[in-house]
Amino acid sequence: MYGKKPDRLFIIVSIAILGLLLLQLPLMAYAEDKKGKELPDRLVKMAVQYPGVEVPPDEDVDLELIFYNRGKAEETVIAWVDEKPDGWTAKIKTYKFSVSGIHVPSNDDRTLTFEAQPDKGIKPGEYKFRIKAKTPDGRFEMSEEVVITVKTKKTDEKEARGVKLNTSYPVLRGPSDAKFEFSLEVDSKLDKEGLFDLFAQGPEGWEINFKPAYEDKYISSLRLKEKASQTVAVALKPPAKAKAGEYPVKVRVTSGDAKAEVDLMVILTGTYGIEVGTPDGLLSLDARQGKSANLSIYVKNTGSAVNHNIKFMSFKPENWEVKFKPESLDAVNPGEFKQVEVEIKPFEEALVGDYSVSVNVEGEKAAKPIELRVTVNASAAWGWIGIGIIILVVIGLTGLFRWLGRR
Amino acid sequence: MNGVRAIIRKELADHFSSYRFIILFALIAMVSLITVYMVGLNIRNELEGVAKPKFIFLMLFTSSGALFSLVQFVAFFGPLIGLILGFDAINRERNDGTLSKLLSQPIYRDVVINGKFLAGVITITVMLVSIVMLVTGLGLSIVGVIPGMEEFWRIFVYLIISIIYVSFWLGVSILFSIIFRSIATSALAALAVWIFFSFFISLGASVVANAFLSESGESTPEAVVKRAKIVRGVSLASPMQLYTSATATIIDPTRKTTRSIVAMGPMEQMSMSRFSGPLSLSQSVFIVMPYIVTLIAVTLICFGISYLVFMRQEIRSL
Repeated sequence: MYGKKPDRLFIIVSIAILGLLLLQLPLMAYAEDKKGKELPDRLVKMAVQYPGVEVPPDEDVDLELIFYNRGKAEETVIAWVDEKPDGWTAKIKTYKFSVSGIHVPSNDDRTLTFEAQPDKGIKPGEYKFRIKAKTPDGRFEMSEEVVITVKTKKTDEKEARGVKLNTSYPVLRGPSDAKFEFSLEVDSKLDKEGLFDLFAQGPEGWEINFKPAYEDKYISSLRLKEKASQTVAVALKPPAKAKAGEYPVKVRVTSGDAKAEVDLMVILTGTYGIEVGTPDGLLSLDARQGKSANLSIYVKNTGSAVNHNIKFMSFKPENWEVKFKPESLDAVNPGEFKQVEVEIKPFEEALVGDYSVSVNVEGEKAAKPIELRVTVNASAAWGWIGIGIIILVVIGLTGLFRWLGRR
Repeated sequence: MNGVRAIIRKELADHFSSYRFIILFALIAMVSLITVYMVGLNIRNELEGVAKPKFIFLMLFTSSGALFSLVQFVAFFGPLIGLILGFDAINRERNDGTLSKLLSQPIYRDVVINGKFLAGVITITVMLVSIVMLVTGLGLSIVGVIPGMEEFWRIFVYLIISIIYVSFWLGVSILFSIIFRSIATSALAALAVWIFFSFFISLGASVVANAFLSESGESTPEAVVKRAKIVRGVSLASPMQLYTSATATIIDPTRKTTRSIVAMGPMEQMSMSRFSGPLSLSQSVFIVMPYIVTLIAVTLICFGISYLVFMRQEIRSL
């Protein structure tokens, strides 16, 4: 019973090893095949990555030059630009240096870069370049032609290729004292990582800042990986005295030659503000029971939008009367003053003392309360009546003295 | 005028030397001082820690010590001063036979009554002023707060009203002493009038109010206010009521009305409590002006009647 178990395990392991060996067989066969292939003694070839290139003006052209060594011997290849049109600088380089040649090991490939830089303002057209290469002993001479076609500038096409700016909400609307935030998507179409500068041009006095989405810091440029996109917020703050109206804002993103622009629009509806006060700043008045007292207040529109339909509400003790002349104002223009007469009539039996009467001036979108201190004074009429009564009594008494006195 | 002065001097000499006056003054002074002392101690305890209380000095007069405040005490027992000073002014002279002797002198008859009344008023003034001064002095030492100008003027107005009020009772008692020959009768009559106006009129006022209002048990705000109005209207017939209302408003700046019940809506209450400051003295005076005027008029009329009755009376036949 105990002896059988190791036997079975041994069989399973053997089968597994055998299977793996079998799988290896074709790979090994391939390797043998490659190694076994006969190579000529010497064979060098040169190739250009793209023999024809179309570029916009002022754009550098980088092309790869590929050297193949299919011979048994190691080779050194000398390469140079043989022909180049006027207005172009061309050189052969590696990623770092300008070079005049390259060493290519046996049965291997090496790559150099051909770089052509046009001068400023190069005209559209076809430009031919000839690149030549040879081995030092002259056994192999190679020549390749590169045609660079400079196309006329087509902005749209270029923008589309370089970078794109997208926004879902290009027009924002709000009161003049609000802050606005556009959300822009910067979409890089470049093949390499790039630094994108952000510019904005807005109306005078506006504060415009770029912020990363969901972060509260200001940025002026943005690094994007190739074919990546990121959302950027444009925060706008209108100046304090901005009038109602439409304000266009232009946002531009540039990175080298890649450019994109987007037109944004902020529509300010103006601010709504009301100021209420009295001409002399005094918010108290004297009144008598049952007698009306007048106070003139002014209503000033401190906002930048017209305030329509201003009404007056009062918060007063019961049985008091508070009237306004006029009862409501149709419209008050920004910065305009309107005078309103307030008539306050305390209750007949109101107690003597100070009362608080609140007047709330309610416009369409702004309201302002003021509190008035109404001092109800006792009527002095009784004082005069009293003095009259006392004089009458004294006169009566004097009459009595005269009539009956000195007896 | 010489005659009046002579009479006043004689009367004052009589008053100030009589045991009656000394006992009365001692009694009133004692009660006042005890009351103020207790009130002062209370105030001092209550105000401990309060940063800047207002009108403390007036509280000496309005807060009740043991049973009553000083103002209440004067309202109830001040009339006694007037009554005691005047209830035998004329009829004692008549009964002693000194009146005809007096009138046989080169003195006019009106001088006698004028002099007696004025001497009474002067005595009352001296008494009240000295009591208020005593109270002020004691209050100063206990509470340690110096009264402001406003408080000083309020106390002054209070004094004037008090003098008029006590003078009214003096006038009443002089009138009775002219009408009634017997001293006991005039004293009793004066006391009866005092008790009637001081104690019974408030009872009578509620009875009248109940009679007017069919359902006395009704307790809606309107009914309560109406009832309070009737009670007040009736009790204002009493000089004591006039005096209490007037002085309470004068001496307490936070009191804004003489009415006991005021119907007030919630908005009004809120509006008033926003600035709950004390009234100025002039406003307080204006509020109680009708009361002060009525007191003065009633006092003068009362004296006028006494004068009229005295002048037309037959004196020499006795």
